[in-house]
Amino acid sequence: MISLLDIAERSQKGRKMAEDSWNMSLFNKISELVKRYGIPNYTSDTSFLNLDDELTERVFHAGVDLLVEHGVYCITTGRIIELTRKEVLDAINESPSEIIVGGGKDARVMKQRKIEGKEPLNFCPGHHAPFTEELAPLVVKNFAQIPRTDFIEGFNFVEVDGREILGAPIEVYAARRQMSWMREGIRKAGRPGLSIVFYPITTRAEVLMAAMDPVDGLRRGDGILTSVLPDEKIEHDLLAAAIACEDYGLWRISGSFSMAGGFCGGADGAIIEGIAKPLTAVICYRVYVNYTGVENVRTVSAMTIPLQPLNWARSVVNQALNRHTNIICMEWVIPTAGPGTETNLLEVAVRSIEATINGANLYAPRHSRAQMNAGQTPLEGEFMVEVSDATLAAGIDRERGSEILVRLARQLKDKHPEPGMSIQECYDLVNHRPTPEYEKIHLKVKEQLASLGLAFT
Amino acid sequence: MANESEVRGAFDNLKDAILKYDVDAAKRAAQVIVDKGMEPMLAIKEAVAGATGILHERFDRGECFLPHLVMAGDAMMAAGEILESAVPKESIPAKKVVVIGTVEADLHAVGKNIVAMILRSGGFEVHDLGVDVKSSTFINRAKETKADIIALSCLMTTTRPYQREVLEDLESMGLRDSFKVIVGGGPITPEWAKEIGADGYGADALEGLATAKRLAGIEA
Repeated sequence: MISLLDIAERSQKGRKMAEDSWNMSLFNKISELVKRYGIPNYTSDTSFLNLDDELTERVFHAGVDLLVEHGVYCITTGRIIELTRKEVLDAINESPSEIIVGGGKDARVMKQRKIEGKEPLNFCPGHHAPFTEELAPLVVKNFAQIPRTDFIEGFNFVEVDGREILGAPIEVYAARRQMSWMREGIRKAGRPGLSIVFYPITTRAEVLMAAMDPVDGLRRGDGILTSVLPDEKIEHDLLAAAIACEDYGLWRISGSFSMAGGFCGGADGAIIEGIAKPLTAVICYRVYVNYTGVENVRTVSAMTIPLQPLNWARSVVNQALNRHTNIICMEWVIPTAGPGTETNLLEVAVRSIEATINGANLYAPRHSRAQMNAGQTPLEGEFMVEVSDATLAAGIDRERGSEILVRLARQLKDKHPEPGMSIQECYDLVNHRPTPEYEKIHLKVKEQLASLGLAFT
Repeated sequence: MANESEVRGAFDNLKDAILKYDVDAAKRAAQVIVDKGMEPMLAIKEAVAGATGILHERFDRGECFLPHLVMAGDAMMAAGEILESAVPKESIPAKKVVVIGTVEADLHAVGKNIVAMILRSGGFEVHDLGVDVKSSTFINRAKETKADIIALSCLMTTTRPYQREVLEDLESMGLRDSFKVIVGGGPITPEWAKEIGADGYGADALEGLATAKRLAGIEA
């Protein structure tokens, strides 16, 4: 596979282009590929899960063509990293379909799943959300206590040792504290070897690398979030970190979903970028675990719940990646309603069902506009696993899954997502259980899902 | 002198050209307006602004995307140049200028891009500085461009303080009254905007546009 140093060198010597020109040129190339490969635009409110296996082959080739014919843009240097078809195909063929994360008895295997696969899903319960430092170790412990947790990602916070995090020196210190809180939390949960993933305090290279520490920070078998940027772009601090992490022995994860409505165009174009982006992560940052699919440019500030055509587009992307690459796909569960609400759990259910059937794994449920201590609780994580297990136990295939999702979507369509509650308001962190009120909502949603055919134990 | 129906038809042609993202057709439509002695400033106000409103509604409904806002902006600019060339320079109101970027140590571009495009198509002259922009860069560029507004985006709780940094730097340089400052992004709330002394806040791009117009003294 092409080396990261080759990528670094090309990012310094490739053709120059202004970023605005890159954006529009990307749109034109993707529009051309949509036509060349006959990628359909969404046509039906009922096709939540893709049933067209031949389409997955076409979108895969379109994604490869995008990389070969258009390349990747480095925003640091304003240069294009060009790739040959052989380099792209080598990267696809040589990347692993499973990796071992963590160490000792807590080591887990992260695997690529198959469409309508029967095996249980890999699972990350959180964070990727903000928590205050006094809650941090307790929150981590609670997420690590979930037996099915395969790894936990870090979190962000605004103060460390009572000081505001501002500027590289304190950011570096905060990065190290995040890791020590994570270590403390997993140790208290009795899982000292559980893989932890550094959530960048900021994306400066020195901050990304400050978390590496074999005693109290990132060890071999742990991971770091190094995401490819939207519109097929990479950046030098993240590339520098990827090179250092590869040498040190850390695995990487990338937010490699595309965003419909951006420079990739609509859902049809986003599907093509949704294929190319995780491949870019493999090639440019050596990332094998990606949270994949299609979101909308406005998902992060959405005031209404984003549903179709995103569900269908995500389905096409995850199925294509599972069928034609070794990418280990995860689905980011990003509800628009806050924790402690029925809407949040229904949104989590939709994502968990579709991930299970499309062959993705489950990644960090987190309120789209997460505020401090109010982005997630362990219940949503546990609920993701309950829903995916119940989907598997019921043997739900794509057609039946689509029917269930249509019914859930109908219920969610006109809902105004509630902001939700803080973790302290709806979850008992000392006894590791939701409040009685939240548990009641949880049971009600489970009952509803059971009535739709999910087989909860 | 063109009659009312001819004027309406010409304005509609310009609006349609912008909504089809067709730069050449927009230029032709603008030239017809000028050649037939119609009021260029009225065309800007009615046809161009009318197209903007429709575009924003389409974007909000997910019927058009960022590249379409760019292309419509190009068509508006091309038509605007022709229309403005037909009136004395002193009668053309100066465009309000916005300098926008994502703050230091934050690489998130999408929300900032949307706001930049919406502001541009809403009639502002927008200078997009990209992501990971230092406070000094925002301020120097705002001075160079004689900006009216500095717009600061961020998506991480940990990079929020860099919005405040810009305000503090402006204050320390004696420039706080020279620019209006608006803030936005995932972790940003009206309370945060108030706490750091920003002049405005937008929960989304369209609210950001309304805030920018209010601060720039442009009628909505």
